[in-house]
Amino acid sequence: MDKLVVTAASRVTEADVRAAKLGSRFGRLDLSSQLALLAVEALGLDFDAHRRDRVGICLAARAGSLSTDVEYWSGRGNAGGPSPTLFAYTLPSAAIGEIAIRHRLTGPNLCMVGGNTGLLAEAVELFRSGETDSCLCVECNVITPALAAILGTPATALACALYVVRGGAGRALGENDRDIESLCALLNPSPSIP
Amino acid sequence: MSDLVHDLKVKIVEFLKLDGVTPEQIDDNAPLFGSGLDLDSIDALELVVMLEAHYGIIIKDIEEGRPAFQSVRSLADFITARRRS
Amino acid sequence: MRNAVAIAGCGATTAVGHGVEALRSALLANTSGLRPCARFDSRLFQSSIVGAVPPNGHGVDEDDPAFYLADTALTEARAQATKVLASTPVERVGLVLSTTKANIEALERVSDGRPCAEPARRHLQGDLLAADLAAAHGARGPVQCVSVACVSGLVAIQQGAKLIQRGAADAVFVVGVDHLSAFVVAGFTALKAIDPQGCRPFDRDRRGLSPGEAGAVIVLTRADRVPAPAITLRGWGISNDANHMTGPARDGSGLAQAIRAALAMADLPAPEIDYVNAHGTGTPYNDSMESAALRNVFGDRCPPLSGSKGMLGHTLGAAGVVETILCVLAMRERCLPGTPRLHAAAAEAPAALVVEPRSAPRLDHVLKLNTGFGGVNGALLLGHG
Repeated sequence: MDKLVVTAASRVTEADVRAAKLGSRFGRLDLSSQLALLAVEALGLDFDAHRRDRVGICLAARAGSLSTDVEYWSGRGNAGGPSPTLFAYTLPSAAIGEIAIRHRLTGPNLCMVGGNTGLLAEAVELFRSGETDSCLCVECNVITPALAAILGTPATALACALYVVRGGAGRALGENDRDIESLCALLNPSPSIP
Repeated sequence: MSDLVHDLKVKIVEFLKLDGVTPEQIDDNAPLFGSGLDLDSIDALELVVMLEAHYGIIIKDIEEGRPAFQSVRSLADFITARRRS
Repeated sequence: MRNAVAIAGCGATTAVGHGVEALRSALLANTSGLRPCARFDSRLFQSSIVGAVPPNGHGVDEDDPAFYLADTALTEARAQATKVLASTPVERVGLVLSTTKANIEALERVSDGRPCAEPARRHLQGDLLAADLAAAHGARGPVQCVSVACVSGLVAIQQGAKLIQRGAADAVFVVGVDHLSAFVVAGFTALKAIDPQGCRPFDRDRRGLSPGEAGAVIVLTRADRVPAPAITLRGWGISNDANHMTGPARDGSGLAQAIRAALAMADLPAPEIDYVNAHGTGTPYNDSMESAALRNVFGDRCPPLSGSKGMLGHTLGAAGVVETILCVLAMRERCLPGTPRLHAAAAEAPAALVVEPRSAPRLDHVLKLNTGFGGVNGALLLGHG
């Protein structure tokens, strides 16, 4: 198999979300989806360069969808009931749907929950099985203050993304590259938010 | 009535989290769905919740709400009619 | 397709009872496990008719239902796969968990100020639930938690197969679990997606889904470790509609793409498919979309197909695993499953829709389909013999 290379990397935080201008419907997404979408925007990619049905989307949701779950469930006592929109985002993979819709990507998807998922190694498998020619690899970690109080861990909100391609120029993916965040940190990109 | 129309616009922007849209930018008669604000089926459900939470109006069946959701004006008319009965 | 992966054993805890044998009986008799459940008062929720696991004397563990459902299914699956597991060192046994909400019961309890002890609390987190299940069942190899909406189960099966194919494990427990919760039933109520009378997949008068719960396990291993005729994973495909977060693309083109990918991986032409087990939630949109996708791939020659959610309800993260087990049972019995709770087929449903179970001359190639929120579609192709 042609070697796999990383052609772009990005990291975004909640501050970037607040500053973002991604259209009037951006506000309806949950924070995880907003961060993930922004991280993908920051890669500055042109998907026309690859067949859209052969672009994979892999997502590592470190805290699952728990921050959104807490927000949705806190509305259960509202007159009229909890928000249907929020419910639609109480899935760790929701951000994949938003990325797919925005960039019209119809290829395979994978979402894993937890820290140290080894998601990059799983993304490599999509190439090996012939299912993709390129892959967006995104990691989200969203722990709102409300969730932090329940889990007893610090609050945080950030996402990072990589674009991995078969062949061509870029930083070659090594055997020991398993996690997205550590590789993003290594490549030390300066985020450029559109 | 124009208070209700304005109030509805404020609530719609708030409930649907419409970024960078001010109530003044929403035309009274413009279609809410399809074109105009380009709302979709989940937004319709969210508006059903809004109607109950803020106007005390319960819509049992989404089909019942369909004519009401044509525009802000038709929504205001719907609320006014329901309040009278 | 790299080295073949086969199914060595199964376990299931579902609305029709504890154990795969209960599933087999329900399959042959076309029964439904959907019932009114007092927990879901229809004044607060759209319907009280759900697929709840019956108490079996021991009762469902109240604060850790996710662990209970998965744990009981794992115990059964391991017993079925004794020979394979006895000759597999524990470091070579992996576990892939598929779940959408893990032990969401813990969030409900904490939010209400009701008691919730460990480990029920930590099982709110899918990765920790997976780790504890692995530890409790002798899996010291790779452990993963996947969550891809209602396609999770099929994705987890693929992940398990890939672990074996690349030599990272010799046996994998693929575990699918989601438990019934007010969290989920309230959410589907808010989306007005529930059929007040209980789901009726592919029915002309269908109005929505029925929430369900299950714990289901498939033990995967290399095909040469299982006696013939084995049931193997011949191919799979995952795609995204890239259309809308909760509504499928009307023309079914995304699901058709996933089916074609599975056929291509298996190097099998469409006419070789003997049976299709649909996702068939019973919502107006889903079932129409699936009918369109099948027409797209098979034209007028759709193979026999049926939907099983009238038996178990929509079990979310468990669906792909438990419905694959139903396919395995069907293949072993050479019996085409019916579509429980179907009364009058919708006009657009394929003519090959199977209403009542019947024996089949051949059930060697079976396609399992699932679709989920976020536009995800999945197809898994099973082979027999």
